[in-house]
Amino acid sequence: MYRIEIDRSLCSSYGSCIDAAPELFELGPDGVAVARVDVTKAPEALEAALACPMAAITVSEARERAA
Amino acid sequence: MKADPSFWYLARASGLLAYALLTGSVLAGLVLKARPFDRLLRPAAITDFHRFVALLGLGSIAIHGAALVLDSTVQISPLALVVPGLVSYRPLATALGTLAALGMLLVYVSFPLRKRIGARAWRRLHWLTYAVFALATVHGLAAGSDTRETWALALYGAATGAVLGATAWRILVPPTRGGKQRVPDRDRPLPV
Repeated sequence: MYRIEIDRSLCSSYGSCIDAAPELFELGPDGVAVARVDVTKAPEALEAALACPMAAITVSEARERAA
Repeated sequence: MKADPSFWYLARASGLLAYALLTGSVLAGLVLKARPFDRLLRPAAITDFHRFVALLGLGSIAIHGAALVLDSTVQISPLALVVPGLVSYRPLATALGTLAALGMLLVYVSFPLRKRIGARAWRRLHWLTYAVFALATVHGLAAGSDTRETWALALYGAATGAVLGATAWRILVPPTRGGKQRVPDRDRPLPV
């Protein structure tokens, strides 16, 4: 599981995260990228973090909550 | 005894290589912003290429400067590599090369400082890359020993044409994301 965090002060609307993982990211009305989910299993989250020219996306490991 | 031309050849080759790498990095940056190939190229690969090739370009510039200092064809001091105008050989053309190198270094080192200086200021500073490319082109044409060669002219022409073409694309064609979403320009005020 991956936890997605976006540094809003760094996001410059390149939109590379949306190209890399359109199901995980979108642009808000102010042009700043927004994660559609906080936590995901999709490895595309890592691809989006690597794609961001501003390195504004941090993806960290999130522990799965025990059932 | 005849002087060893190795450093002279190295200086010329590394200068041309640095120019080619700078061009590659500029084009990758423009592709990142304008997305002319939509999703055909992996964005992470373009971003990686953009940064890595810029670093290689700076390495080639360092070799270019060191080789010029070590070579005896043109007398250049280490200080003249960082202070524009101290080289007696084609002083204006070489000064433009020094300015281009310093500008490229400034843009590169600004990345880890982007949080401190602010993303908006960082983006403005990144516009300096266009000036760096123009200065490097004029420097190569005016100071380079190979400028009269057809292949060298082809290199400068192709590089300039590619950067101008990609810049025109960036200006004229609005980028889309994920095949549909139009991206607002952060430097442009939002409509009220």
